[in-house]
Amino acid sequence: MKFYLNGTELEISHLSQPINIKQVLSHALAEKKQQQSFALALNGEFIGKDDYTSTEVKESDSIDVLFPIVGG
Amino acid sequence: MALNIYGRHLDSRLLIGSALYPSPEVMKQAILASGSQVVTLSLKRQNPHEQSGEKIWTYIQEVVKQNQGFLLPNTAGCKSAKEAVTLAKMSRELFQTNWIKLEVIGDDYNLQPDPIELLAAAEQLLADGFKVLPYCTDDLVICQRLYDLGCQVIMPWASPIGTGKGLMNPYNLASIRLRLPDATLILDAGIGKPSDACLAMEMGFDAVLLNSAIALADNPVLMAKAFAQAINAGESAYIAGTMPERQTAHPSTPTLDLPFWHHPEHS
Repeated sequence: MKFYLNGTELEISHLSQPINIKQVLSHALAEKKQQQSFALALNGEFIGKDDYTSTEVKESDSIDVLFPIVGG
Repeated sequence: MALNIYGRHLDSRLLIGSALYPSPEVMKQAILASGSQVVTLSLKRQNPHEQSGEKIWTYIQEVVKQNQGFLLPNTAGCKSAKEAVTLAKMSRELFQTNWIKLEVIGDDYNLQPDPIELLAAAEQLLADGFKVLPYCTDDLVICQRLYDLGCQVIMPWASPIGTGKGLMNPYNLASIRLRLPDATLILDAGIGKPSDACLAMEMGFDAVLLNSAIALADNPVLMAKAFAQAINAGESAYIAGTMPERQTAHPSTPTLDLPFWHHPEHS
């Protein structure tokens, strides 16, 4: 299954579908980043941490993982 | 005097950004020197060197704790109401706050807020329980609409973000103050010098939010102190009430008598 993580196309082929957000993150997000503070959106909609396991990721979905950054 | 916004008590009327400092340590010292209790930050996908990640996140949290303040996440970079609402919800989860500095940019050249999308986003976020602090232009009617929606705080710009041009249109800003006497007005963006902040406070603005003017100063820590002093001076001046401007000169020394006699001049 192909999907986009922060604009980069990625593929997960070794997991049986359906695949949830938690599974995607554990495979596609670097371990160091998994341990950081972040928030997530799927196809432009906010997904809370409590819903990572219950939210399915489908073909061509777009996931944005955002981290704290300085700002004005 | 203290400032109360959305039920929060603030001793400082300076809200400060966390970006553009030469280093995290300078950022920390500048924010502490400013006395600001509200520090803005953001969420992004990218991690520029030393500007994001756990280190800077930890630093900002420490600073806020020391000043007994809190975080104000922004929606910088959003160009639609939908993007801004999504980012606000992400910020609420991560930063554990329902306060949001709402930015929806409509033009890339001058980073001017999009008033249509801004109103739509503000309406949705207020309905969802957010405490919305909208960044907008100095358009009186937009400010009125935002206030009517339920934004207790309105943040018109002084001039475009990062320009340091100061108050482009004092008449507009004075009109907003006059027409929205009960709104909390925070001047946001475009401030270059402490005198700009002082002027806004003299006009009756409730607070000032800035970043570049401090972060890009040769000495950010000293400039942070200067802004804090200027804001205090401006606030005191507004409370004290400035004298009316007059068209003609009036001697300040009593004219009951003069030290020397002169022929009367033409009247």
